[in-house]
Amino acid sequence: MVEEILLADDFVRQLISVGEVDILVGIPSFNNAATIGQTVLAVEQSFQQGFARERVVLVNVDGGSGDGTREVVMNTRAEKSSSGRGLTSLRTEQRVVTQYGNAPSASLAMRTILAAADLLRAKACAVISPATSNLTTAWITNLLEPVYRDKFDYVAPLYNRHKYDGLLSRNLLYPMSRSVFGQGIRELHPSELGFSGRLAGHCLAQNVWNQEDIQDAPEIWMALTAISSDFKCCQAFLGTKERASAGTAPDIVTAVRQNVGSLFWCLDAEEDFWMQRAKPEAVPSFGSESDLTSEPMNLNRQRIFELFRSGVQDLAPILQTILATETMAEIQSVAGQSEEKGRLSGDLWARTLFDFAASHHHAVLNRDHLIQALVPLYRGRIHSFLVEHQDSNAEQMEADTENLCVQFEKQKPYLVERWQAKA
Amino acid sequence: MSTVPNPEPLRKEIGKLAVQAQPLWYKDAIIYQLHVRTFCDSNNDGIGDFTGLLQKLDYLQELGINTLWLLPFFPSPLRDDGYDIADYTSVHPNYGTLDEFRAFLNAAHARGIRIIIELVANHTSDQHPWFQEARSSTDNPKRDWYVWSDTDDKYKQVRIIFIDTELSNWAWDPVSKSYYWHRFFSHQPDLNWDNPAVFQAMWAVMKFWLDIGVDGFRLDAIPYLIEREGTNGENLPETHAILREIRRLLDKEYPGKMLLAEANQWPADVRAYFGDGDEFHMAFHFPLMPRMFMAVRLEDRKPIIEILEQTPQIPESCQWCIFLRNHDELTLEMVTDIERDYMYDEYAKDKQMRINLGIRRRLAPMMENDRRRIELLTGMLMSMPGTPIIYYGDEIGMGDNVYLGDRNGVRTPMQWNGGWNAGFSGADPERLYSAVISNPVYGYAAINVESQRRSQHSLLAWMKQIIHVRDSTTIFSRGTIEFLRPSNHRVLAYVRCYEDKQVLVVNNLSSTAQAVELNLQDYKGSIPIEMFGGNLFPRIGDASYLLTLAPYQFFWFRLRRI
Repeated sequence: MVEEILLADDFVRQLISVGEVDILVGIPSFNNAATIGQTVLAVEQSFQQGFARERVVLVNVDGGSGDGTREVVMNTRAEKSSSGRGLTSLRTEQRVVTQYGNAPSASLAMRTILAAADLLRAKACAVISPATSNLTTAWITNLLEPVYRDKFDYVAPLYNRHKYDGLLSRNLLYPMSRSVFGQGIRELHPSELGFSGRLAGHCLAQNVWNQEDIQDAPEIWMALTAISSDFKCCQAFLGTKERASAGTAPDIVTAVRQNVGSLFWCLDAEEDFWMQRAKPEAVPSFGSESDLTSEPMNLNRQRIFELFRSGVQDLAPILQTILATETMAEIQSVAGQSEEKGRLSGDLWARTLFDFAASHHHAVLNRDHLIQALVPLYRGRIHSFLVEHQDSNAEQMEADTENLCVQFEKQKPYLVERWQAKA
Repeated sequence: MSTVPNPEPLRKEIGKLAVQAQPLWYKDAIIYQLHVRTFCDSNNDGIGDFTGLLQKLDYLQELGINTLWLLPFFPSPLRDDGYDIADYTSVHPNYGTLDEFRAFLNAAHARGIRIIIELVANHTSDQHPWFQEARSSTDNPKRDWYVWSDTDDKYKQVRIIFIDTELSNWAWDPVSKSYYWHRFFSHQPDLNWDNPAVFQAMWAVMKFWLDIGVDGFRLDAIPYLIEREGTNGENLPETHAILREIRRLLDKEYPGKMLLAEANQWPADVRAYFGDGDEFHMAFHFPLMPRMFMAVRLEDRKPIIEILEQTPQIPESCQWCIFLRNHDELTLEMVTDIERDYMYDEYAKDKQMRINLGIRRRLAPMMENDRRRIELLTGMLMSMPGTPIIYYGDEIGMGDNVYLGDRNGVRTPMQWNGGWNAGFSGADPERLYSAVISNPVYGYAAINVESQRRSQHSLLAWMKQIIHVRDSTTIFSRGTIEFLRPSNHRVLAYVRCYEDKQVLVVNNLSSTAQAVELNLQDYKGSIPIEMFGGNLFPRIGDASYLLTLAPYQFFWFRLRRI
């Protein structure tokens, strides 16, 4: 059998020249020529400020950009200081650019970065999104420091967000992963993250890379793998996360399919781990607490509820095969109420998700269809969230998120019961 | 004062002939730096002297160097290793007499070895008669030979150099009840170069030694000659005017003699000391030295390339002087804070190894006695643009004693053999000016000239070879440098070119084996000939030229189109 060759010869040649490194920063890209130059400069500035003595490399993995992204990476240079004296950094700042394919692939990009980290024996790594317009050097340093100095293996970011931003994380990914896996990582699918070379090597060695379910969100699998394989995890505060422009953010159906698909697949893959996990543990956090920002955000609450209600009606036959009878009845009851009164409570939401997870496990129907059926119910939960937090401040939001997690944790035995029940 | 016939006409004639024969001799020089006190004691008083040094000239000739730079040997209270001069025109009795100096000088010249001596022009000892007169009365004619003030408020923008020992650049003189200016130790008052009488006196000192036959001067602490309010007191235009006048007189009256500037400054600032070829012939390249050490520890060529790229072009007749170690601390003034911290952490973990803004260690201990790294650094020194300086004892890998105070730890007696006092002196060991190094690794029983002479594979034998190879071509001493930039940053590669000849130099800065692909298209068709063994390497073709290098290995290739 011919083994798959992941890395291009030219990329390997570049890696040979780089040799062993201490720090690796990966930048996956696809048509980011407009912004990636600033990202490169921020990364190199963080090298100079935070890791002047370390052997560093910036690795750009590109999905076949046609706008000159790779050339921008290679040619962007910081302006020299006017004195022209001394060194900008002690060591050569290495840049490596490779094109892994002719179309963007989150999984292939991540795998290529992990392979580079493994081959270069990097001690601390970070992945940075070139689409983040307000990236600062502190972001990169904050992701790398816990790994390089404090020996953590996985660093998830914490952001300042608008209270209606990151709804999928706040209402689904965070409470569910925390309750099931026992460690609460706020941003399970981040565009920036840090990790150790040890974790990179471990993830690279797993035979999962051709799995359809993690192709779009390998970061979720990586985070949950770190937790379930007993790697040391933490979170680091980065700053205000500016939302991606409408053109780059996935629609809600796609987002749910990508994220929930990966999450449910990980539940299957790591069943032995989370079934034994009794009590949640706190994940250490570095830097400031995350906070809320206040830029206006237009969400049509009424429209969201309408989509929830119609979804419940239209998908009733499918939902009945997924949800427990009680859960189905409660959902239908909420959908039957007016927009002002209809609320999908935390407890109900937890049981709903756990029903979906168990049904996904038992493959009661096509898994992709199953996850798509979750979308209207997710809308119902979002509607409730928007109503409840119309006037909430950061503390109230945080307390409510904590409460939601507790609801999920209380319902974990319910998940286990449904999971172990025969389909 | 000794009386000798006026040799001036004859010297001038010799000088002229020297210019015609080798007008740029200093560019081709390989300099060996020593203090006469440290080298060989002929009269068993525990202190090296000129007669002893004369006896060792055959050794230096055998080593292959062609120029000697002598540290101050003048009468002095010796509170700053002789840089506190009390009489400019004599020899300290510890080291012999003026006649013995003459005998040594003539013997050196007879072996083709030129002699450079120190001219400490910025300051004298407070024991110098000039200062004694100046402090005796405010009306004394020599009062204005130094810089005085009623307060210590002037020149506040001027930095203190010896930060470990001095709190101010002003010192109170209880005799004349006023402050005098000093850039270095307080017992070294600065001369007032605004006074033309000082210029005349110092020119007379130079003429004295030039008439005896010395070949050049290293001018100490040159940036600090002049003080002006509102400035940092360094590199002032008035200082350059003085230096141009010295050079003009030198060229006119003593052609073929050389001036070497000690200006511990950034290359762009030192550049001014070359003027239009009308100030100094040579100047030290201070910032390069720490960066060579840095590059080897970092295993990265960046520090070297970056500083040489910041180095401006100098007039054709001028030359940089480059070195690895010398009698002072490894100075870290011309580095950034990040670089300094790195150097301290990597090369001076023990705080005893640090002094002022530098590291008081010798080459071999800094390299942990690793022959490969000593050779790599020496190879770079010998192949980079500039005239190399070898500090005495480094050719055999002598160690240091950082517990001796000040910088005395790198000024211990030369280790000639494993016998009494390392063969340096027949005196009782207690009488030596300094204890010899005696530890099991670097002590004279393990490291000495005699034992290394017996081995073809000793560091000394290797040093002779590399000096011989370096001296076999003028490409290194006169040629341009062009850096190659292979993607492997652990490899420092450059091509030295002079006239129609080229040498390719490839250095592996890493502790591990490295492969490197060099773009040598400009030299396509040439055959690289390894300069130490004379072996041919494959002809340069269309493809990248692949070389593999062992840890810390370096190659010098002469490129020949045959």
